[in-house]
Amino acid sequence: MDTFLRLMNGGAGSLAAYLAAHVLLCLLPAFFIAGAMSALIPKASVTRWLGRNARFRVSYPAAAVAGSLLAVCSCTIVPLFAGIYKKGAGLGPAITFLFFAPAGNILALAYTGSILGAEFAFARLVLCLLFGIGIGMLMAVLFRRDDASHDAQTDALFAGQVNIDPAAAGVLLSLAAVLIAGTLKLWPLSATIGTVTLPLPWAEAWQATLFDWVPFDASKGEEGVSLQGSLLIVLLVLIGATAWKGLEDIVEGANRWTAVALGLTAATLLVAALRLTPGADGLEVALTGRALAVGLSLWAVLHHARRLDTDAWRAWLWEAWRFVKQIFVLLVVGVFAVGVVRQLIQPEWIQNLAGNNDLMGNAVAVVFGVFMYFPTLVEVPVAHMFLDLGMHRGPLLAYLMADPELSLQSILMVAAVIGRPKTFTYVGLVAVFSIVAGLTYGAWVDGVNGAWIAVGLAAFVGSLVALLGWLLGHRQAPARA
Amino acid sequence: MKTVKILGSGCANCRKLEAVAREAASSAGVEADFVKVTDMKAIMAYDLLSTPGLVIDERLVSSGRIPTQAEIRQWLAG
Repeated sequence: MDTFLRLMNGGAGSLAAYLAAHVLLCLLPAFFIAGAMSALIPKASVTRWLGRNARFRVSYPAAAVAGSLLAVCSCTIVPLFAGIYKKGAGLGPAITFLFFAPAGNILALAYTGSILGAEFAFARLVLCLLFGIGIGMLMAVLFRRDDASHDAQTDALFAGQVNIDPAAAGVLLSLAAVLIAGTLKLWPLSATIGTVTLPLPWAEAWQATLFDWVPFDASKGEEGVSLQGSLLIVLLVLIGATAWKGLEDIVEGANRWTAVALGLTAATLLVAALRLTPGADGLEVALTGRALAVGLSLWAVLHHARRLDTDAWRAWLWEAWRFVKQIFVLLVVGVFAVGVVRQLIQPEWIQNLAGNNDLMGNAVAVVFGVFMYFPTLVEVPVAHMFLDLGMHRGPLLAYLMADPELSLQSILMVAAVIGRPKTFTYVGLVAVFSIVAGLTYGAWVDGVNGAWIAVGLAAFVGSLVALLGWLLGHRQAPARA
Repeated sequence: MKTVKILGSGCANCRKLEAVAREAASSAGVEADFVKVTDMKAIMAYDLLSTPGLVIDERLVSSGRIPTQAEIRQWLAG
């Protein structure tokens, strides 16, 4: 019974930490941005660079941009991947797109940044971009014959010339401002402008009750539930209830629940940006620079959103709501499960396997990433748990690169489109590149000189090119004979 | 009798599209046969870059979004 209670507490504690103010300030705007990207950015504005006749200097970067802007969900990833491969720029850009999409999209970046730190999110972004383009090009070289033999399809699919509506651009930029204002840890945002003490004598007792319900150990990096956190949880439940009535049929028009749900969302962001400190004589509410900045950016979002077409804003809200339904619920369950499992794993196991930035540590991390399948974004709390338990940051990055790229589900999906030999080559390349990425970032974290890292990477690329040359010569020899 | 195909691998938007299309057909009094196409190869036979796709009598009328009932009624009438 004791063990059971300990596990439940672990789950609740980890969930509470993920519903804390700083995570919500990042996740809520990110869902709305993801919705806006998928509803308001016309796909033709990017896909026109991905046609069969696009030059590779254009098509590879365009494929990466498509991965980060258009592909927030599987409804887009698979068809766009198949479309680029079969009817557009070919295998290379299609692979770049596929590889970059899970790491380069706004939800993954914002969430990685708020849980594991901005530096880590940046490393994930840069290494995924570089290696995504690298793996795409390698695949294109390896299988260039199959690629050339593709039926010359009509280019009409990629010929659209659409520009982004200025109002949509305004909405996207001001949503990005909400995200930045909510998450950056900089002076004008963290400054306190003024404080008010509300005469709520039960505040301190309520906080004590919360700590009693969810005990936590600060030395393990656990966070308890603050009074502010409990308020945010109540607001989230209210949003969930009203959004169900207000957003489920948004395609056919808004109703009064829509306004309530959106108002509650704005209120949640503002409450999360304040600082609430329960004390002996009541609840001290500090107005922060952050709250002002979030308020201003929210006003800008509203201002631009009013200029959107009716269809556009309905589609935007629907997509945002769909992402919440699809991802948030699984994320909550996943975070709880991670908290439970956390109690069962001995730190020594992780430290022995992947406590150092060596080849074995990185390889173990990648293998774990390939065989485990977590729903979208749950890989981030899992990575956080490993970090707490003493995993080195290098193998951690290797894991984060391999896990969302290679799950059994995605391997099957890719195999259906491009066939088995190409899929196995892709899986092998991703595994090798993830290990190299982990070693590189790990060396950087350990303070190894940048020049040495460059030399190591150059040696890796050189040996890869040599191997490829040998392979290609081998493959072509029988053809010539 | 119209044939309405819903293209999509079973994501949330495809289910929503099917519901909207069925309502549109019944409110317009159009008899329609609904076919769900989930096989990726069959989907890619149509020119689309994102699902869900709506095909009425072998003509792709929308893709990558959920049209309103009014739009679908127009396509069904046309």
